[in-house]
Amino acid sequence: MSVLDYVWLGILAVFQGPELFSFFGMSVSITIAMVLAGFLLGIIVGSTPGLAGPMALAISLPILISIFGYSQEALLPVMGFLIGVMKGATVGGAVPAILFNTPGTPDAYMTTLDGYPMAQKGEAGKALRIAHFSSASGDTFSDIVLIVCAPFLAILVESYLDLPEKTALLILSMAFIAAVVGGSPAKGLISASLGLLIAYIGTGEDFTPRLTMGYQGVASGFPIAAVILGVLILGEVFKSIEDLWQENKKDQSLTKPVQHKASRLSFETIKGLFPYIARSAFIGTAIGALPGIGSTLAATLGYASGKFRHQKVQDQNATSFGNGAPEAIAATEAANSSVSGANLIPVLSLGIPGNASAVFLILAADSIGSFNPGPSVFRFTVDSVNPELVVAFGLFTMMMLANLMNWTIGGVFMRSMGIMALVPKQKLLPVILLLTLTAIYVQETKMAAVWFTIGFGFLGYFMRRLAISPLPLVIAFILGGRLEETARGAFSATGSDPWFLFSSYTSIAMLVAAVGVVFILSIKGKPSA
Amino acid sequence: MTIGTHSNTKTNAILGVVVVVLALIIGFIWIPADIDTGIFEKARRRLEIGDAFAPTLATTLLGLGGALLIAEGLTSKSNLKVDARSLVFALGLLSVFAIFIALLLWTGPILVALFGAEGAEYRLLRDTAPWKYLGFITGGTFIVAALISFMEQRFTIKALVIGTVASLAMIILYDLPFDDLLLPPNGDF
Repeated sequence: MSVLDYVWLGILAVFQGPELFSFFGMSVSITIAMVLAGFLLGIIVGSTPGLAGPMALAISLPILISIFGYSQEALLPVMGFLIGVMKGATVGGAVPAILFNTPGTPDAYMTTLDGYPMAQKGEAGKALRIAHFSSASGDTFSDIVLIVCAPFLAILVESYLDLPEKTALLILSMAFIAAVVGGSPAKGLISASLGLLIAYIGTGEDFTPRLTMGYQGVASGFPIAAVILGVLILGEVFKSIEDLWQENKKDQSLTKPVQHKASRLSFETIKGLFPYIARSAFIGTAIGALPGIGSTLAATLGYASGKFRHQKVQDQNATSFGNGAPEAIAATEAANSSVSGANLIPVLSLGIPGNASAVFLILAADSIGSFNPGPSVFRFTVDSVNPELVVAFGLFTMMMLANLMNWTIGGVFMRSMGIMALVPKQKLLPVILLLTLTAIYVQETKMAAVWFTIGFGFLGYFMRRLAISPLPLVIAFILGGRLEETARGAFSATGSDPWFLFSSYTSIAMLVAAVGVVFILSIKGKPSA
Repeated sequence: MTIGTHSNTKTNAILGVVVVVLALIIGFIWIPADIDTGIFEKARRRLEIGDAFAPTLATTLLGLGGALLIAEGLTSKSNLKVDARSLVFALGLLSVFAIFIALLLWTGPILVALFGAEGAEYRLLRDTAPWKYLGFITGGTFIVAALISFMEQRFTIKALVIGTVASLAMIILYDLPFDDLLLPPNGDF
C-alpha cells in the first residue's frame, strides 16, 4: 500500500459509504449528507448567541450514536457531522456580530468592532461577505496545513520517541495547556490536577477499585460523557443562567439593520483584503497548532497585526480599524477560522485535544471505538491495510468537503441566519440543559449518570466563578489514563528504573520545558486564551 | 458575605490555602485509606508502579498549584467572582434539580398506583405509552419553566408551554425513532 493508495481509500470511504439515496443513478453516501447536515447546523448554532459549537457537539453525539451504533461504519458519518458542526460554527459567529453587535461565539468579538459600524452604514451584506470569504480562506489554509503536517509529526513521534519520551511529552502538553489556558498557570495546574484525580477514581490495576470510598457506582470510573458534558456544557449553562438572573433582562428586541449599498465583492476588494487574510491565516494556524490556545487569542492577534499593517500602508482617507474597516473584519475572521483545522494537528498526530471541539471528536472516537487518535494512526503499512489510516484520510476528505460546502453554499446560508440572534437566551438555556441531561441518560441509562453530570456541572460553574478554566481539567481527564499507562510501560521497559523520565536528553528537555512554561508564565503573566 | 471581589488582593491566596489543605487531606488521608497498593509494589519479583502512584502525583501537582496560587495571590489582584449571590444561586439551582429528579422518578409510579390497572407496577409499564412519558414530561416541563421564570423573575404561561413543547420534542427526538433507547427515568426501574 502506497501513500496514494491510502489517500484514495480515504476518499472512497467517504464517497462510497452506506448509500442514503440515489441521484440520477449516482449513489449519494450518508457520510456526505452528514457533513452537510453538521455544517448547516453549525452555522445555525454559531449564529445563535448563547449557543456554541461544543454545545451542539455534546447534544448531537448521543443522538448520532443511537442512529449509527458502535460499528466501524458509524465512525465517518458521526465524525463527519461533528466536523461539519465545528466548521459551520466558526463561520456563523460573525453573523450576529455584524448585524446586532452581539458576537455569536466569543472569538467573533473583534468582528463586532468593525462589522457593526459597517452594518450601520448600510453595508451589512458586504461585511457578511467579507467575513465569509475570509473565514473560508483561513479555514481552508489551516486544513491544508493540518493534512500536510499531522502525518509527518505523527511519524516523527512514532519513530523517535520511546515510552519515557512519550510520557514526558504528555506531561509537557498538559503543563503547556495548564499554563496557557487556565486563569493563571497556578489555576491551570489546579484544574489539570483535578482532572487527573477524577480520571484515577475507580480505575487502576489492583482488584479493588481505587478512591471509590466504597461506592460501587464509580467502580469503573466516572462516565467520560458525564464529566465532559457536566464541566464544559452544564457549567457554562449554570453560569449563563446566573448572569441572566443577575442582569434580569427581558427578551431583547433587536432590529436588523437596513441594507442599502451593493454587497458584492469585486476582484479589487478581494485583492486589497488578501494580505490581511494571508497574514491572519498564518497567525491563526500557528496558534491553532499549539494545544490549548484558543481562537479568541488568534482573533485578537490577527486584528492587531492587521491594524499595524493598515496604519502603515493605507492612505489617510481609508476607514480606520474600529470604525468599519473591511480589512479589520478580514483580519479577525481569517485568524479565528484558521485555528479550527490546525487545532486538530495535536489531536491526530499526538492524541492530545487542544480545544473543546477536539475533546468531542476524541469522545466520539472513544465511544464508537476502532479509531484511537494518536501517532499510531499514521502507520503506513505496506503489506496490509491500516484501517485507522484510512479513517484519518477519510477525515481529511470530509474536512475538504466541508470547505467546498463552505465556499459554495456557506455564504448564502450564513447571510440568511440573522434571525437566530433573536432567539432569547432565557428560553434557550433551560432547553439546552434538559437536552444535555436527556442525552446523558439515553447514553448511560442510569440516574447516577445524571447526578454525576449535575455534580460536575456545579464543579464547572464554581471553577468559572473562581476564574479557573475547566478546559485543562477535561483535557487532563481524557489524557490521565494514557499518562499512567505510558508511565507504567516506560517503568517496566527501563527495568524498573525510578528515573525513567530522565533516561534520555529528549525527555529531560521536555520535562525542563514543562516546568519552565509553568514558572515563566507564572512570573511574566500568561497570554489570554 | 463576599468571598472575593476585584479590590481584594488576598482572595487568590485564600483559595490557594484551601487547595493546599485539600491536597494534604487527599494525599495523607484519602489515598492511603482508599488504595490497596502503594506508590510502587512488588509483583512477580519485579518492582512495578502501584495504583497510588498516579493519584499521588496528581495530588502533589494540586498542592503545587495551590502553593503557586498563594504566591500569586500575595502579589497580584484577584479576579474571583464568587459572592453570596452565587451561593444562593447554587442552592436555588440545586433545589430545582432535586424537584426535577423527584418528579422524574415518582410521577410515573404514583400515577400508575392511582390510575393504573389493579396490581399494575410501573416497572412493567416502563416501556409502555403513555406511562413511560409521564415522569419525563412533568420533570422536563418543570425544570424548563422554573429556570425561565427564575431568569425572568416572573412566571408566565409561555414558560410552561416552552417546557412542555421542549419535553415533547425530546420524546420525538429520542424515543419515537429508537426502540432500544429509554428516556429518563425508565432505565432505573
